[in-house]
Amino acid sequence: MIQIITRDNRRLFHHALMEMHRQRKQVFIDRMHWRLSESMGLEIDEFDNEEAMYLIDVDANGDVQQSARLLPTLSPHLMSEVFAKLCDDGPPRSARVWEASRFCPAPTIAKGAPRRELLARMIAGILETSILFGIEKVSFVAGAALAPLAAQAGWNVCALGPKQRMGRERLIAMLADVTSDGLAAVRQRARLTGPVTRFADAGLARAA
Amino acid sequence: MGRREATLDFVQKCRAAASAEDIARFLFAEMEACGIRYVACASHVDPLKPPTGAVAIVNYPHPWLVWFSDKKYANRDPIFFGAHNALLPFWWEEFVVQYDLARDQRRILNEAAECGLRKGLTIPIHSPGALPASCSLVPGPDGIDPLIVPDLQLMAFHAHEEARLRATGETRTPVVLTKRQKECLALAARGKSDPLIADILGIKTATAKHTIEHARARYGVSSRIQAIMFAYLDGTLTLSDLAD
Repeated sequence: MIQIITRDNRRLFHHALMEMHRQRKQVFIDRMHWRLSESMGLEIDEFDNEEAMYLIDVDANGDVQQSARLLPTLSPHLMSEVFAKLCDDGPPRSARVWEASRFCPAPTIAKGAPRRELLARMIAGILETSILFGIEKVSFVAGAALAPLAAQAGWNVCALGPKQRMGRERLIAMLADVTSDGLAAVRQRARLTGPVTRFADAGLARAA
Repeated sequence: MGRREATLDFVQKCRAAASAEDIARFLFAEMEACGIRYVACASHVDPLKPPTGAVAIVNYPHPWLVWFSDKKYANRDPIFFGAHNALLPFWWEEFVVQYDLARDQRRILNEAAECGLRKGLTIPIHSPGALPASCSLVPGPDGIDPLIVPDLQLMAFHAHEEARLRATGETRTPVVLTKRQKECLALAARGKSDPLIADILGIKTATAKHTIEHARARYGVSSRIQAIMFAYLDGTLTLSDLAD
């Protein structure tokens, strides 16, 4: 189940959040050698704050399988601060556009099919979350590995500019529409029979 | 109140606190609000027999403290060693993997774990002139929010510093040396005699002697060696000033 974690319920998910930051360090810094800062074995950047929403896929044993981050585009986010030049007409910014970033499979997940399946689940999770929170479009920057997978997931995506080399990677900025048809198509391709997300209410959880 | 506001509010409260006991009370309450179960913000000494000037803000289980004191673990605690050699906070679990600990040191950690002291986080505290210290934090069952680690650090530093000032009776006014005093003291620290110092700087021997005397007086100590040590500890002199 992909837990939707917001400012309001994050206190229920300290362990999962800690594990997410740990996995991000292992995957992005140790394995992919992205130039990110690290402290105490955790990768945390300036956009990790209480405004961010996190999607953390937790299995039945409580282990974190993958995670992703959603940032409001009216605040500083990756596309506005780091990747603005990838967008021909500037990064899209609106209360109804959020940016997805830090797609991170657990380091134990094998390459190939297992990771592709997880990504398809995460895309379904992003669409579900968007519908729940009134988000109409989701922007993201994709590298050579993510771009084709994201384009073929079943949702409607368009490029915001041409592919460009930045550092060692060729990156492209993309924008996806949030629609119920798109969600249905993503679910069908990923063979998902129903919702993959859960939004735990902090107040109710405390009462229980 | 947001986390950062609460942290800054805590810092203000520590500054204004009448006693080290008040600071301890504030720190325990604030850390509990952050999901921390146990706190040891302390000099690396026997927590039950702290020497004068030591900081001991500790709410670890009492049986553990008695055992720690009886066994004189302050001399062997691997977390203390880790904190000496680190600037950034570290998790105990990762520390154990990175360092080749002696068997007795592993035993200390295992015994601590039996008392509920496990999966902790240690914030090293390096304060000029202070006894070596750190702030170890053991999270409660719900864990801690990864975004509040900087707040924990800020709170640990301030609680320790304010408690230390109250324990030692030191004031916060730093000693400032003149450029000439610093030069003379640095040369004295390298073992140069007054005539030699005078020669190097192109001044009279009596002037060199007096300049060092004034530097010594500013630190309020009775010997040159003490003045050199204080100047080194407060950062006025650095290791490169002392090396040839």
